[in-house]
Amino acid sequence: MPEADIPSFNRVVIALNGGTSDGPIVALVSRFAKSGTELIAVHIVEIDWTLPLDADIAGHSEEAQRVLDMAEAVAEDNKARLTPVLLQARDVGAALVDEASERNADLLVVGMPYRKRFGGEFAIGRTIPYVLKNAPCAVWVVREPIPEETK
Amino acid sequence: MSERKSPLKGRKAGDRRVRVERPHSAYFRYTGPGQLVAKPAANVPKSSLGRAWSRIRAVTIGRPLATEEEIGERLSKKKALAIFSSDAISSSAYATEEILRVLVLAGSGIALVFSLRVAIAISILLAVVALSYRQVCRAYPSGGGAYSVSKENLGAIASLVAASALLIDYVMTVAVSSASAVAQAYSVVPALYDIRIEIAVVAIALITTANLRGLRESGNIFAIPTYLFLGLALLMIGLGVARVITGQAYDVQQADAVKAGSEGIGVFLLLKAFASGSVALTGTEAIANGVPAFQPPESKNAGDTMIAMAILLAVLFIGITFVSDAFGIQPTLQGGETVVALVAGTVFGHGSILFYLFQASTALILFLAANTSFNAFPRLAALLAIDGYMPRQFAFRGDRLAYSYGIVLLAAVAAILIILFRGDTHALIPLYSVGVFVCFTLSQIGMVRHWHRHREKGWWYRAAINGFGAVLTALVLVIVTSVKFVDGAYLVIILIPLLVGMMLFIHRQYTSSRRELAIKPGYVAEPPQREERVVIPIPGINRAVIQAVNVGRSIADDVQAVFITDEPDDATEVKARWEEIVPGVPLVVVESPYRALVGPLAAYLDVLDAGWPADKEKPITFVVLPEYVARHSWERILYNQSVKRLRSALLGRPHTVVVNVPYRREDPETAQRPATRSDTP
Repeated sequence: MPEADIPSFNRVVIALNGGTSDGPIVALVSRFAKSGTELIAVHIVEIDWTLPLDADIAGHSEEAQRVLDMAEAVAEDNKARLTPVLLQARDVGAALVDEASERNADLLVVGMPYRKRFGGEFAIGRTIPYVLKNAPCAVWVVREPIPEETK
Repeated sequence: MSERKSPLKGRKAGDRRVRVERPHSAYFRYTGPGQLVAKPAANVPKSSLGRAWSRIRAVTIGRPLATEEEIGERLSKKKALAIFSSDAISSSAYATEEILRVLVLAGSGIALVFSLRVAIAISILLAVVALSYRQVCRAYPSGGGAYSVSKENLGAIASLVAASALLIDYVMTVAVSSASAVAQAYSVVPALYDIRIEIAVVAIALITTANLRGLRESGNIFAIPTYLFLGLALLMIGLGVARVITGQAYDVQQADAVKAGSEGIGVFLLLKAFASGSVALTGTEAIANGVPAFQPPESKNAGDTMIAMAILLAVLFIGITFVSDAFGIQPTLQGGETVVALVAGTVFGHGSILFYLFQASTALILFLAANTSFNAFPRLAALLAIDGYMPRQFAFRGDRLAYSYGIVLLAAVAAILIILFRGDTHALIPLYSVGVFVCFTLSQIGMVRHWHRHREKGWWYRAAINGFGAVLTALVLVIVTSVKFVDGAYLVIILIPLLVGMMLFIHRQYTSSRRELAIKPGYVAEPPQREERVVIPIPGINRAVIQAVNVGRSIADDVQAVFITDEPDDATEVKARWEEIVPGVPLVVVESPYRALVGPLAAYLDVLDAGWPADKEKPITFVVLPEYVARHSWERILYNQSVKRLRSALLGRPHTVVVNVPYRREDPETAQRPATRSDTP
């Protein structure tokens, strides 16, 4: 894409799922981000209905902290500043759209792994369709490459 | 590590989310399970004084760098020649003069006749040394300093001798190069002679600051002065030789020339001239030390660069000597122009732009030569520290990834030498060459051993080259040491064994402490089985003491306070109040008629130990010291002097743990509230 055709964004929310795609997505967005662009990385820990929403789960999860810290480090390596946000919610899609909406984000970046249902059909899951349907801003879905064994 | 907040409402009814606080994120970053990395904010001092000092450091030496920010630049041959050769090439600026200063004792005519021959002899030695070191580059692609080569092939003592000689050599490089650089400056502006020491010391301070900021031997900043000097020096020699060939050479008239002697030429004088001129070889080993910095194939490129450097140095050295001979240039009295400045003035014309440019480039390359030691000395000191031969601080890298302790030590010693020798290059030179030839010799002997052990194809041929180099440099070492002994070489002869002894002593200390602290294989730490008791020395009754008693109670049930006093009346009053305020904790009053504090307390602890049943293992005694922490740093001198004495006295006591319990005066209102009675510790 020619440089002039790349749209500019002021505030980008990047959804992190804790998978292998998080690092490359943050690096990709950091490289595209211009100097004034604010990057916000959001990692959401889904809380089961059996527990209260404010149960002390994510704060004690080193894994959840590591996901955000890794994103921050990747952004720094790419000379970008990133604000990490850790959320607890019942539904990841809704929390993501609400957070992007409250922060007036003009781009929401979501990564997804390439996975198949039992029948062999590509499975998109329920979060991405929800985000695509409800997000008030532009949505950028970055799908991981198809793994070799699946091809 | 987290706090929770109340749920946030979403856009749709029922959608809720909770933002989780991440208190660690300002200071740390998780990199794995149970693994944190500190961020720069974790290093920011909490006190205002600490923050002010941190700001001063940031301004003078720059912001702290993370380890991963280190730049590992690979150098092309052209750049490496400029960077690693500045030390060796710059010595051509003073080597001719050192020969002439000796030979002039035999008469000015004789000096001029023999100086060129001595320079050629030294250049032959240079060729042998360069060929030998080319082999080092091949055998040690990871860098073959004399210390590493000797350590691997000749053992600890030989390597320490090499290391000591190298450390001395690096210090001398800084002192001699700085003094000579300043001499180039006062050759142009004679008024600078009176402040030569100040200029040299300030220059060393500036180089030190640059290196503490993490200056690296890389980039064009180093290449420009070296190539400028090379270009101008070769032009000067070329023009000078052309004038000689075309018969335009003439004897330069010098009013301030050193008065020629009438000793006549003899073997001793020739050997002394040879020894003095051998300073030209200093810095030759720098390329062999820096092989890993070359672009691949590292060893070949380093070897080629070594040969190029030797050829350039020989051309400059012989060329400058030849032109100075042809024009009858003689060394001047103290404070006069240097020989190289006289050659430049004669060829380019005094006052010409080329003359000033040459003098400036000479001064610059000499300062660069000093700078090479600022990289080499701290690295060697760090290697020695890692091997346990120098204090561990030398292996610590400062905020800017520089070995700060090594840099500061080198600067301090070099500056002291400049002051002691009044910034006189010629006075410093006798101390210089001995260390260099010790390194050459040990390195070459080590290489012979290396080839013999590894027996690669053609090993005997390579061993023969290094063997010849070893014999020749050993011979020169004997000559240099004997002819310069009384002039100052004896200092190096004394210093090397002293340094070796010091390093062995440090190594022995570290080895014994490591042995004491070692954990046996298979050991698993069990929960403590020993009984514990708490002793709290008190200065009276106050809040700090009460806090210390509470801490003591949390450690063990067996708690007692000890009040040491020289006033029996006080004791009665304190005891009465103690029983009222701290019931359940016994107070022992120890009267001290000689007003001592530490002695009676230590004796009381001994008595407690002696009273412990002999069949039971000695308990751990926690001595809990109440400590009053003043709000301002300047107030701290007023308090806790007794605590400090007790702490240092009890530190080495067996089965004893000293616990400091600081009482912080943080809330001014609390501090103003009247206490029942307060005795500050």
